[in-house]
Amino acid sequence: MWSRSKRVISMLVLLLLSVGVLGALAVGQVYERSETLYVGGAAWGPASTWNPFQPGSLANTTGTLGLVYETLFNYDPLTNTMIPWLAESGEWVGDNVYEVTLREGLTWSDGAPLTAEDVVFTMNLANQYEALWFAPMWEYLVNVINIGDLIVQFNFTDEPLYQEFDNNLYNIPIVPKHLWEDRTEEDITIGANENPVGSGAYLYDTHGADRNVWLRNENWWAIDALGLYPAPKRIVDIRFSSNNVALGSVIMGDLDLSNHFLPGVAGLSDNNVVKTYFDGAPYMLSANTAVLFLNTTIAPMDDAAFRKALAYAINTDDIVNVAYAQLVAAASPTGLLPSLSDFADEDVVADLGWTYDPAMAAQILADAGYADVNGDGYVEAPDGSAIALEVTCPSGWTDWMAAIAVISDSCKAAGINVEDVTPDYGAWNTQLQTGTFNMTLNNWAAMSNTPWTLYNLLFRHPIQAQMQSGNFGRYDNQEIFDLVDALAAIPTSDIAGMKAACADIQTVMLEEVPMIPLWYNGLWAQYSDAVWTNWPVDGDNTPSRLPTTWSGYWQLGGLMMLCELEPAE
Amino acid sequence: MRRYFGRKLLIYLVTFFLAVTIDWLIPRLMPGDPIQNMLARAALNANAAETMYTYYTHAFRLDLPMWQQYLNFWNALFHGDLGISTYLFPTPVADVIKDAVPYDIFLLLPAILLSWWAGNKFGAYAARTKRLDNTALPIAYLLTATPYMWLGILLAWLFGIILGWFPIAGAYSFQMAPHLSWAFIGSVLHHWFLPFASLFIIFFGGWAIGMRNMIIYELEADYSHYLEALGAPRKLIRKYAFRNAILPQITGLALQLGVIVAGALVTEVVFSYPGIGYLILAAIQNQDYFLVQGCFLFIIMGVLLANFLIDIAYVIVDPRTRRGMVGE
Amino acid sequence: MPEAKDRKKRNEFLYFALRNNKLKIGASIVLLFLVLALVGTLLTDRAPEAFVGPLSAPPSAEYWFGTTCFGQDVFAQFVVGVRATFIVGALGGGLATLIGMLVGFVAGYRGGMIDESLNVLTNIVLVIPTFALLLIISAYFEVRGLILESVFIGVTAWPWAARAIRSQTLSLRSREFVDLARMSGMKPLRIVFTEIAPNMMSYLVMAFILEFGGAILIAATLDFIGLGPTTGFSLGIMMQYAVLWGALPLGTWWWFVPPGAAIAAIVGALYFMNVGLDEVFNPKLRET
Repeated sequence: MWSRSKRVISMLVLLLLSVGVLGALAVGQVYERSETLYVGGAAWGPASTWNPFQPGSLANTTGTLGLVYETLFNYDPLTNTMIPWLAESGEWVGDNVYEVTLREGLTWSDGAPLTAEDVVFTMNLANQYEALWFAPMWEYLVNVINIGDLIVQFNFTDEPLYQEFDNNLYNIPIVPKHLWEDRTEEDITIGANENPVGSGAYLYDTHGADRNVWLRNENWWAIDALGLYPAPKRIVDIRFSSNNVALGSVIMGDLDLSNHFLPGVAGLSDNNVVKTYFDGAPYMLSANTAVLFLNTTIAPMDDAAFRKALAYAINTDDIVNVAYAQLVAAASPTGLLPSLSDFADEDVVADLGWTYDPAMAAQILADAGYADVNGDGYVEAPDGSAIALEVTCPSGWTDWMAAIAVISDSCKAAGINVEDVTPDYGAWNTQLQTGTFNMTLNNWAAMSNTPWTLYNLLFRHPIQAQMQSGNFGRYDNQEIFDLVDALAAIPTSDIAGMKAACADIQTVMLEEVPMIPLWYNGLWAQYSDAVWTNWPVDGDNTPSRLPTTWSGYWQLGGLMMLCELEPAE
Repeated sequence: MRRYFGRKLLIYLVTFFLAVTIDWLIPRLMPGDPIQNMLARAALNANAAETMYTYYTHAFRLDLPMWQQYLNFWNALFHGDLGISTYLFPTPVADVIKDAVPYDIFLLLPAILLSWWAGNKFGAYAARTKRLDNTALPIAYLLTATPYMWLGILLAWLFGIILGWFPIAGAYSFQMAPHLSWAFIGSVLHHWFLPFASLFIIFFGGWAIGMRNMIIYELEADYSHYLEALGAPRKLIRKYAFRNAILPQITGLALQLGVIVAGALVTEVVFSYPGIGYLILAAIQNQDYFLVQGCFLFIIMGVLLANFLIDIAYVIVDPRTRRGMVGE
Repeated sequence: MPEAKDRKKRNEFLYFALRNNKLKIGASIVLLFLVLALVGTLLTDRAPEAFVGPLSAPPSAEYWFGTTCFGQDVFAQFVVGVRATFIVGALGGGLATLIGMLVGFVAGYRGGMIDESLNVLTNIVLVIPTFALLLIISAYFEVRGLILESVFIGVTAWPWAARAIRSQTLSLRSREFVDLARMSGMKPLRIVFTEIAPNMMSYLVMAFILEFGGAILIAATLDFIGLGPTTGFSLGIMMQYAVLWGALPLGTWWWFVPPGAAIAAIVGALYFMNVGLDEVFNPKLRET
């Protein structure tokens, strides 16, 4: 009896001691709510790499490019301006010589200075290793040299692709030569680059299976040079298993900024449960164009008249209002985003563009010889063969699934037999790249500083066995290929020249309708005012930034948003 | 005895070999190209896609002939190298599994063990009287019949969003990094409770029903009647019946434990809890050969091991199997 | 005379069946849903996928189960879903029981090497995660339907039934009447079907009911995580969509709750029926 109570007492003492010890260790590792920003919607899996050269979605640590590593310039799509960043300025001193002047006082997070040598080193990496994504730049680049005084000189061949180079200026991350020069090819191109050292506003703090944590860099060069100080001390980027849980978190107020596509946001925004960029429809900024690619190698989609009829037959209003419940906007037939609407030639659009008009679709079909011969309600081809097409999207991409249901319905109502089918992602992707689909959606035409990236995607050439980065419908038209190549070679300062080139491209595009731009996917963003305020909202006295944490978007305004946030009182 | 075990071992080895071969074959029988998918998700701007495609295909040694890939697979297996994931490039598959499985064990082990214990007790209790059987058992039936994700989502919605008593995402609070403190432990338990409870509720019913059926079967067996006729107290009879009834339940328990390494996919999706189940699904959807292969291999080994341990345990625990071995 | 004995036994079963409460309650619930599955589409003239009504409307006289966030009629989807559920349960469960019977009978009766190799087969099917098979299938069939899903479930869910049937066969095999039949020179297949199976009939029926319920639950889970049919509706697909479109957080509970409740009711009733059947077939368990 006595020994038992002795055991009990000693256990109690042990328990009390451990309480004391553990309690003492509690300090320090818990984040202050008022200093931490909780975001979500960018990462979809656990972090596996911090290599800034690893293309965006592959690296689920989407803060690597933008928060840790920086680029020479940033770009603001809302004002369509290039903002000098690591570079103080950049200019073309000749037709094929470009000079970049770096700022003074740039530093890496380990204290070393960021100099022109780092820029030269970074650019030359792509010359050495063709697996880096910006290696194609070297086809028209001769050399990159440091000519002293913080100036880096780019010497091009006779025909530089100005558009692509400009686009690269805000996409190529500058890496530290003193840490990277001894690495192997494997490390540089596909290594994980753990514990990254960059020049950016944030440092890598820690990560877990479902979160990435970034810590503010108190020695960031821009604090002195530009007077910028990001408000949150820590950013916790959360990976949710499904949009449903994200929605729950947003409603519970656990998330400050959500970049997920969440259903029902229109209602939540109207009821002030969340804030969005716009007060009413479409609530979201337009991030990329959802284009319906038509497989032009298959009849009847090899007939421009049929394609035109399709364009008139699709009910984009229903897509906007029913499938997306007003969270998106209908696209311009040119495919250009609102931020680049200057380059959409209004005359061409007025002349050759389309809207939802089933009567017009019927007329075009009739004129071209399509008629319903067998009375089943759907038209047959002029040669009498039946038409039965499929519009596809990956199974599980819910908003697209709803959209193709609308496409199928409205086509059928116009007399064209189109069925909506949702294969699994792997199968869908294979069909996309091998050109074995009928009609399918793609939205890689993202925000950009130049219309060339869109048309380079739409009219990618040459046509190969596998189309991996554009022109999935394999539209083969040398005239338009030449026009796109011509656009690529126009200097970005020649706005008039670019507009003219775009007008030419759009004329062919709207006549031939090889693909149909349908709607603008939203830059999904909903925020809570509970802990942080001064979010980007449409208006005169409010910050106008891209309110997003998506990969490749930090240098498009996301970072500036962080610097302008204020703690709620 | 030695012949019995020798034979069993042989069978297990054959099963293992066949299962592993099928496991290796499966991703390769699928149409589609994992490298293509990997690069497609990267949504590369421009021309680099083609170069990188050849580069990666070579890096993953997918350009070797099939038989060579197969031999390489066995070779790597014996070195504990399960390859590199394409979905979570460049993390090795073994690391991915190592990082994710502890969460599932933490979630599933207590759920399975506790529900097994409680379910058996409840089932045995309910088998005692007809009235109890008619009132208590229907609850157990309803619980096993409830689709798990439906229950889980309702729990998350009710206790998480509406009442706010429990968090609905993560294994521990997003406000802290793992460290030793009461706050952290408390946070872990707080996040663990709802997923655990949902699993417990669903498993509980199954065990209760199974035990109740077995006990009734045992109570109706000849030896029970014989003991009763001899005037033994009810308690003694029930004790013997329980011991006999527990045997198939042990089999069931071991099988359940063997599949722990497959994770609780639906739980992880519904409660946004990290673990291997969600990764397996993501790997399937992204056609990540190596991760899928590695995870399945892990699962196969776990289940085979569990089966083998059951066989051993049965021989030890149940004298009837020993007697049966004398026959054919 | 064997026929008279059988007839008497069947009448005896029927007598007790009609008096067993559990069986009656369970069967009537299942019957109710079955009727709904068969004639439900006559109760509504709206197609399940059509956009017919106001978005996210609560249940009302016009829309009995309300509408989805796209304005589709939830009741129309529900009715089609219940039908799909029964199809999968019957086909999938039936196939699983059939295969289980085949494997179980042969393994249990023959024993020896055949038994061991069938055991290996059973183990392999048990051990290979069903996801693996679903992988290949889903990759080759870009469009999956209900039949494919049922076949898939049937082909992967049989090990349980096989094991159970095998152990029952084993115990029955050593009975005297089987020895008699064997000594009289009857062929093994005939013995299995004329002597063993009828004595296990009750067991087989119960096994089928359990596989039926199990198939429904498996199908619901597969549908929910997106590995089910790529076209059409089922209760699991309804729940999947409801969750993907935030039904509960946004308050449209009528889209999410009925499908799950229906599955719980159907499968629960099936299990309940099973308990009742057990009592009917097993005299020692009867209440009277």
